Amino acid sequence: MPDLTELVRRAQHGDEGAFRDLYREHVGRIYAVCLRLTGDAAAAEERTQDAFVRAWERLRTFRGESAFATWLHRLAVNVVLMERRGSGRRERRVAPASDDPVYEQAATPPAAGERLDLEQAIAALPQGAREVFVLFDVEGYSHEEIARLCGIAVGTSKAQLFRARRLLREMLER
Amino acid sequence: MNDRDYDAEFAKVLEETRRLPRSIEPPRDLWPDIAARIGRPPLWQRWGALAAAAVVLLVVGWRVLSPRHPGWEVTRVDGAPRIGRTALAGTGTLRVGEAIITDDSSRAEVQVGVIGRVEVLPGSELRLVAARPDAHRLALARGTIYAEVTAPPRLFVVETPSATAVDLGCAYTLEVDSTGASRLHVTAGYVELQGNGRRSIVPLGAIAVTRRGGGGPGTPYVDDAPAELRRALTAFDFERGGAAAVRTVLRTARAEDAVTLWHLVSRVEPPMRAAVYDRLVALVPPPLGGGTSRAAALALDTTTLDHYWQRIRRIQWRREILKGIREIDPRTGLAK
Repeated sequence: MPDLTELVRRAQHGDEGAFRDLYREHVGRIYAVCLRLTGDAAAAEERTQDAFVRAWERLRTFRGESAFATWLHRLAVNVVLMERRGSGRRERRVAPASDDPVYEQAATPPAAGERLDLEQAIAALPQGAREVFVLFDVEGYSHEEIARLCGIAVGTSKAQLFRARRLLREMLER
Repeated sequence: MNDRDYDAEFAKVLEETRRLPRSIEPPRDLWPDIAARIGRPPLWQRWGALAAAAVVLLVVGWRVLSPRHPGWEVTRVDGAPRIGRTALAGTGTLRVGEAIITDDSSRAEVQVGVIGRVEVLPGSELRLVAARPDAHRLALARGTIYAEVTAPPRLFVVETPSATAVDLGCAYTLEVDSTGASRLHVTAGYVELQGNGRRSIVPLGAIAVTRRGGGGPGTPYVDDAPAELRRALTAFDFERGGAAAVRTVLRTARAEDAVTLWHLVSRVEPPMRAAVYDRLVALVPPPLGGGTSRAAALALDTTTLDHYWQRIRRIQWRREILKGIREIDPRTGLAK
């Protein structure tokens, strides 16, 4: 496969095949963040598609100041948050089934029970708290970045993180 | 609030969180759908339509955000909802004092500032009472709404003819019938129902009803409560059922009904209070470590009852949130 920079350049010139290769390279990372932000497998598929379609449309605006993966990741987060704010549709907070194939790919099988519980607990968090928790604790965004992305105050982001951690701790206590 | 108030054990959970897999393959190949969509003209080529849409958005945004015209965005979802007498074609603004009205086949959605949204279901009339950053207030005269709010407690309030629902960070369905009676079903978080000097705290998975002139909100019950218990509560709350109704509640209550019994401790006449409290203790033991003495509880000591409530609401919360994931012991809240 050509290097990433070459793929991006070709995709920017309308090469759909190159863009397909970029999709193959990055879809797992994008789907993971969409899944955790939405807490719903079907919604995550939709948002992943939306993110790649949006990326195709905006490829010309990518100047290479950041890594393509970083640019794409931020675009995907924006897509999820904008969709949630824009449509206002009722989200289904359904935890993924324990036999959901996506979780079978967890890296360390012996810890899968614990990890599965953690994924389910994150999915069961209230929407606002889940979004802040995923962005801060899983993805490593700062409160300032989260506030800007979610359209909330920095203090609200901190409060939501506190709430999410408290809820998670309660859920995971046995 | 700070980030340090979690213990070492939870710190391990956070470490585990940071080690979650960065990549998860979707269960199916999404490329064919994406390829079909990107075959269409790219968005940047449709700049004319976008520019027009941007102008519309700017105008709508200015109208919504302008402090001289406080209001919330309303979107038609189905049928022909109205704002007052004006038909809502697509998106409009609900201003303070105005009402969104839906007929039997109409639905609409109201954006509650930046803190949430309210679905207005068919046959409803919902008036905007206050739209300030520190006060988001609606009045539901009739019909049904579904509200989802992410905000600090007590910022979002819905009045009904028979009670006021105060959001404590939650999602819920609220119905008001033609007599002004209401029914609240909480699906996330907590709601406080107030009216006539009485209050009910309705947690996730619980229901409370009110009746106009009924002396305040009824006693909450969980949505899987036995039918006989529900009937007895109706008799107690609204039909002067008295001690006989309370005895029926005590006989039919399970550990899952602790939310109901906790409320009844302070609602029954003093001679019945000990019986209610003792039944509650038998079903869901109070927290260990003191702070919930029987004498203090029977004297309706606020701290004591609040301490007990924290245990009960936590058990109820775990029971609901972990449904289908773990079986929870309703006496302790621990996984069986």
